[in-house]
Amino acid sequence: MPLLTVTDVTLTFGGLNALSHVSMTFEEGLITSIIGPNGAGKTSLLNCISGFYHPTRGDITFGEHDLSLAYFSPHQVSVLGIARAFQNLELFSGMSVLDNLLLARHQNLKYNLLQALVYFGKASRIEAENRAYVEEVIDFMELEPYRHKIVGNLSYGVQKRVEVARALTLGPKLLLLDEPMAGMNIEEKEDMVRFIGDIQQERDITVALIEHDLGIVMDISDQIYVLDFGELIGSGTPEEVANNPKVIEAYIGEE
Amino acid sequence: MSANRWLATGNYYSSYKEEQRIFSTHSDRLIFTLFLLSLFIWPLFLDLSSKYMLVIDNILVAIIAVLGLNLLTGFAGLISIGHAAFVGVGAYTVASFSTVIGDNHVFLTHWWPLVILIAGLVGAVFGAFVGLPSFRLRHLYLLMATLSFQIIFQWAINFSSFFNQGQTIFVPRVYWLTGKVMRKEHYLFWYYVILVVIVLFGFGIRNLLRTRHGRCLVAVRDNDRAADAMGMHPGLTKVYAFALSGFLAGVAGALHAYLYRGVGFESFTLHHSIVYLAMAIVGGMGTLNGSFWGPAAIQILELQVENLAEKAGHLFPSNMNLATALRPLTFGLVIVLFLMFEPRGIANWWRIVRSYVKLWPFRY
Repeated sequence: MPLLTVTDVTLTFGGLNALSHVSMTFEEGLITSIIGPNGAGKTSLLNCISGFYHPTRGDITFGEHDLSLAYFSPHQVSVLGIARAFQNLELFSGMSVLDNLLLARHQNLKYNLLQALVYFGKASRIEAENRAYVEEVIDFMELEPYRHKIVGNLSYGVQKRVEVARALTLGPKLLLLDEPMAGMNIEEKEDMVRFIGDIQQERDITVALIEHDLGIVMDISDQIYVLDFGELIGSGTPEEVANNPKVIEAYIGEE
Repeated sequence: MSANRWLATGNYYSSYKEEQRIFSTHSDRLIFTLFLLSLFIWPLFLDLSSKYMLVIDNILVAIIAVLGLNLLTGFAGLISIGHAAFVGVGAYTVASFSTVIGDNHVFLTHWWPLVILIAGLVGAVFGAFVGLPSFRLRHLYLLMATLSFQIIFQWAINFSSFFNQGQTIFVPRVYWLTGKVMRKEHYLFWYYVILVVIVLFGFGIRNLLRTRHGRCLVAVRDNDRAADAMGMHPGLTKVYAFALSGFLAGVAGALHAYLYRGVGFESFTLHHSIVYLAMAIVGGMGTLNGSFWGPAAIQILELQVENLAEKAGHLFPSNMNLATALRPLTFGLVIVLFLMFEPRGIANWWRIVRSYVKLWPFRY
């Protein structure tokens, strides 16, 4: 059953087609990858899904919601259950890891300003409950040693992990990961692959993954879409994509 | 909980509620309580002259204003150089009441806590309104918006007869349980009032900062794109920051009006906006205790410079006009030196001292 359906999406900036007539389905509970050369429109597509851009034409259906409508801005999409980890680190670098993750619980902290000012009873109790939720994610992503560290001072690999953890803390149904392994060494990559597998299997979260490391993509994906210059040039299981002549051409060029 | 709750060493938490505490050890809380107590009882033993009492009251009013500015600029990252105008909005709210219903009306003399609260709310409304451009503008461009509010405020006050063209509008003496607060105890009375307000606001903001309503401010400062993706509306959060800051400024303004028993435009000029900003910088941006250090440091410095200028005036020929030159000179010098050598302000010294004594009696 598809969790998210992208139908015939076109995104234009002036005369430039960032995406043209792209259609995809993200099946529930599976890992779906989007690959393609630089500038192919992968991140643009993710931006369309998470509400940063609104497609010029086409529909993006998530449950009964059409996310392509201008009404959906990122903070509304996040409430629906779509979380996003950014390609370039977009963390709250002046805050601790804990506060970064607690910020992702923003919509779940249901107390008002006066209760917050007094910080007694309700606000304190809800904070403690959500702290427990956050701690579970910290435990899952193995971030315990960094809990109280300021995010800006952490190493790159750990920051990437915090980014994924923060998206997880939103409690999403669909997790959009934009190059979670870029710039990592081989061990960090292996760790991240393990996390992504666990996210899918233990937490039952559908994953949409953008990644350049084709070896990893072929290993962990259930379904792959290939974009080139904003157009969909291939799709299918890893084997089908690997043998698709158009994909080979886009990646290695003509013989 | 560990056995010894008096020392910071060897301590661990066994529930999240325990970690929420403001004071992690008993000794922290004891020292703070004693400090607070001493602030309340020292006037009983020490009889300061009105001049110095006024300086202290001034520092306290500035602390409230800078608390607001620090929330806006330090925590939410929105630079404002119109803060004195927000303080002015609060003061002129009191002045308006005085003009409209007469300066000896019961509302102003007996219901003054309510008047101060209303002044804060009016400040919040103006703050939210001035904050509206932050939906689209950032950094320097937003600074221009706050600057324009400052200029508009000064013009509006100077050219409307309702506000007496910026000349002093009289504000009455207030009544307390013991009767009318007379000249002799005026400054002492307001010292206690402002102190209570500061304690309330201080704890309020401290609480706010460990909840969603405080964290979202820092989130839009650090990364408003990510804040958007985490489920908060960045524009509304910024407007809320402006409103919060405006509320504190408004309360500070109302207290200023009652303290001086009059409102005149010369207390709320662009110069004062910059002084508030300087206080926030010297105290430490983005720290709560910085809002207390900054005003105290700047005001005391100003007092010392005044004394020095007076002495220097005797030594040097009067046509050098040292007294007028010395104030802006030291003022600018202090800001530059702080920006160069201690951009995190006095709060950072406090942090170093604290972390040094925290592990006592162990060395590390």
